[in-house]
Amino acid sequence: MNILYQELKMSAASMLSWTGALVLFVFFFMFMYPPISKDAAIIENILSNFPLELRRALGITTLNLSQLLGFYGFIFVYVLLIGSIYAMKSGMSVLSEEIRSKTVDFLLSKPVSRKTVVSAKILSVLSNLIVQNIIFIITSYLIVSAYQEKSFDTAAFILLDLSLIQVQLFFAAIGFILSVIIKKLKSVLPITLAVVFVFFILQMLSESLNDPKLVYITPFSYFNAADIINNGGYHLSFLIINLLIILVFTGSTYLIYLRKDLPSA
Amino acid sequence: MKVIELDHLSKYYGKARGIIDVSFTVMEGEIFGFIGPNGAGKSTTIRTLLSLIYPSSGSARIFGQDCIKEGAAIRKEIGYLPSEVFYYDNMKVIDLLKYSASFYKNIDQKRIYELADMMDLDLKRKIEDLSYGNKKKVGIVQGLIHHPRLIILDEPTSGLDPLMQQKFFNLIIEENKNGASVLFSSHILSEVQKLCSRVAIIKEGRIMSIEDIKTLRSNNYKKFKIEMGEAVSNDYFNIEGVANLYADKNSFSFLFKGDINKMIDIIHSKKINNLIVEEPALEEIFMHYYEKEA
Repeated sequence: MNILYQELKMSAASMLSWTGALVLFVFFFMFMYPPISKDAAIIENILSNFPLELRRALGITTLNLSQLLGFYGFIFVYVLLIGSIYAMKSGMSVLSEEIRSKTVDFLLSKPVSRKTVVSAKILSVLSNLIVQNIIFIITSYLIVSAYQEKSFDTAAFILLDLSLIQVQLFFAAIGFILSVIIKKLKSVLPITLAVVFVFFILQMLSESLNDPKLVYITPFSYFNAADIINNGGYHLSFLIINLLIILVFTGSTYLIYLRKDLPSA
Repeated sequence: MKVIELDHLSKYYGKARGIIDVSFTVMEGEIFGFIGPNGAGKSTTIRTLLSLIYPSSGSARIFGQDCIKEGAAIRKEIGYLPSEVFYYDNMKVIDLLKYSASFYKNIDQKRIYELADMMDLDLKRKIEDLSYGNKKKVGIVQGLIHHPRLIILDEPTSGLDPLMQQKFFNLIIEENKNGASVLFSSHILSEVQKLCSRVAIIKEGRIMSIEDIKTLRSNNYKKFKIEMGEAVSNDYFNIEGVANLYADKNSFSFLFKGDINKMIDIIHSKKINNLIVEEPALEEIFMHYYEKEA
């Protein structure tokens, strides 16, 4: 418990500022909703001149921007993007930071097993994500409902928001596994950005090409905003795939970290 | 009782040599020196004892238990001071020490203040603002808070000024009197000489020998420094039992082991200006030893 507490203390500021970034993003982009919904016809006219592939990639063929939830779904893709960067950065730092700052000798010469250390650290990432998501769901709901003229589908909204943590867990798990596989991990953010953007671009590609196979390779497609809003639910197969990937990556992280030689200072 | 038992312990980093076939035993209550030049494998051995790294072959036992399998349980009674100290930069010293203490049961918090006071350590400062020597003090305190049964010191004195070194040695001697065993790794022989009863010498990953400090000292080596009053050949003193012979014009220095009368005779037959005979430092005995092996 002391390791978890220590981790949370050290990561709280970063978690809160990333949460702030997510909330501010929604807050500012929702300003665009009233004008867009008012002149929906004109905007759709302009957008219809865009190539179909681009419109699909942006998700505007399936989302109705003149409706509150449709518009929120449109900007939510970028919430996923920012949230994923945070999640993967945390996942990748949590085990490797002590090696980079050379404090790992201190920690592991204490009477704790490596299993306990990994558990505490993974739990700290999980706790941060849960807290972040609770704050985000409440504030985003308050922001979005400030724009409602007629009531919107709250259940679909919550489901949409809940997809954030699931995509985040996917990226956190990738972060865990990469952090124990890569030897001499110098800096976390460049790799994080590269990985998250690759998956994000894959999602745009899969939307654009409408390829039924491509959707399986990126978590951004598992939780497609239009799907959730229009169908009011997730696809079970994607939920399971996502969960399996998270479990396999996290489990392997334990196995590798338990057997790893720790570099000396 | 055996506190540490190393049995043919080897560690390779890929193909690179870490340590090869290291075996020695540290008995309860002993201060055991572990001596060797930098890169000889001292830290590798110690990191294996703490299961920070895993051996390629052989075994290491502490308090009779396997270091790898029972690592977490064993470490309850180990205090470890690494050769290079790194702590969480954003923490205050006192928070770091309390965090450290939180890993052990039945800690007396007063002990933190007692040790900090003894080592002259300012508890309110941030770790990142500390000098290397002060970080080292943090290392000493965090390693001793829980009255460990085994203290493992890896090059502990680097960065400490002589006064602090003395305080630190006193602290270690005190802990030792209270029953703690100590593994003291160093490349500075004089400090090992001060504290230890036995010493293992490691070189290029292998244990060269394990010696009793007393026997080493009583091995009858004498160190001679002579200034001649008349010219003699550089080989003049090169008789059986002489080692580390250095000749510079008419000044000579060497180690001698054997019948002292023979040496006196040789010196006596020439005119000399100055003569110093002294106990050699262990350093010099080892140097001789290393050179012979090499």
